[in-house]
Amino acid sequence: MITLSPALDRLQFHFPEVDKRARCEIGFQRTLRLPDDGSTYPLPAGLGQFPLRHIDDYADRLPDSFVKRGGVIMPMWQAEAMWLHFSGGGTSWPCAVKIAAGKINAVTGEAWRPKPRQQPQDYLVVPRQPWLDGFCVEKGVIRQFVAAPLGEGITAEEQLSGEAEHGGIQIIVYPMTRTAYDRLFPPRPPSSYEYMPMAAACARGMPKSMGLAAGGLMRQEIYDDPYDFDVWEQSVSSRCFVTILNAAQWHALIGEAPPTQPTTAAEYKRHGIPWFDYYATDRKALKGSSLLAGLKSFAHSALAMKTGPDAPVVPTPVVDLGPNKRPVAAPVREAES
Amino acid sequence: MAAFGDHVREVREAKRQEDRRYSLRQVAARVGIEPTYLSKLERGELAPPSEETTRKIAEDLGEDPDMLLALAGKVSSDLQAIIRKRPKLFAELLRELRRAPDHAILSVVRQVRDGDW
Repeated sequence: MITLSPALDRLQFHFPEVDKRARCEIGFQRTLRLPDDGSTYPLPAGLGQFPLRHIDDYADRLPDSFVKRGGVIMPMWQAEAMWLHFSGGGTSWPCAVKIAAGKINAVTGEAWRPKPRQQPQDYLVVPRQPWLDGFCVEKGVIRQFVAAPLGEGITAEEQLSGEAEHGGIQIIVYPMTRTAYDRLFPPRPPSSYEYMPMAAACARGMPKSMGLAAGGLMRQEIYDDPYDFDVWEQSVSSRCFVTILNAAQWHALIGEAPPTQPTTAAEYKRHGIPWFDYYATDRKALKGSSLLAGLKSFAHSALAMKTGPDAPVVPTPVVDLGPNKRPVAAPVREAES
Repeated sequence: MAAFGDHVREVREAKRQEDRRYSLRQVAARVGIEPTYLSKLERGELAPPSEETTRKIAEDLGEDPDMLLALAGKVSSDLQAIIRKRPKLFAELLRELRRAPDHAILSVVRQVRDGDW
């Protein structure tokens, strides 16, 4: 089952049928859109969570095709970038997590299939994998998730499937079996504490789907699965469709202002927000997908011209991180134009 | 409310082992309070802070704000507003669920509906 934490804006996946500790959380972080200049950048900071709402609460104002998918809605400015943040939700119960954008697997570039596959690995192991910033294009390199409207031919979905049908983000989570968990994680003493706005015409009409395109390059490893494949409880899973609305439509629908417009690289630098490199010498990285390596990036679209120049930026300061810690910077206030 | 201070110190110190940004001084600076105030809170020498400060501490430490507020002996203002709107119903519900196991409570928590996709 999945619940939505209004206080944290995170999806909480619970598997009480396996164990009450079997759970994980997924949040969606706003971040700097990387310059798409062929350079490979370090990790930008998180700039706050994207808000999430039950789609059913707004069913009367959304197209039936959106509502029938269920799940949640989330606002993004056009060309805004995001990363997914994974945690154990207060536990360390491993889960296998599949992530797709427009039903294109973000790790392999293949069409969506619900079951996890071992070779080539098409899922992440959480909380071992603390975050995912984009499509895995080669070993240790991803192309950043960048919001783009469906129908312009920019999204990964349109480039790889030839269709502009789904958009959004798809997630399915499988917990580790109780037997495997007990074997791999022997009991410990209990803790004392458990637990660009779209065109105006578009904004006035029925919401249109947004999807994710491939942005600039970033150093990030997608870690391999260190466990035997049979530790995953494939008879138990929870899945969620995250429908992405553009920020103006969100405002009209929810009545709340979406987060401020995306921070530009120049503002990011001016405010001295650090970049991050990480080290995880004990973990192996997946190879990356040849399908995803062939994606044209957002910078190659006409839309990129409207969303500002992709001026290169020197990433500084760069802070070394451990494998799991990635601080969230204070949101950058927008400069008045 | 030693539980609040103990927990904040425990979480902050655990984070500080891996990340120096979680020193008393740096956490206090990000939360917008004096380091001596945070130190006294952690040692239980002062009563837990306001809801706003508790929320900021929770956010900085990556903790659930409702949990931290509970340790501070408080209920968040949005939950209070929800209860005040339908006091009889929610009082009944909470008393009913008082001894229920976690899985039973989760079954009445609103779930994110999965659909056809």
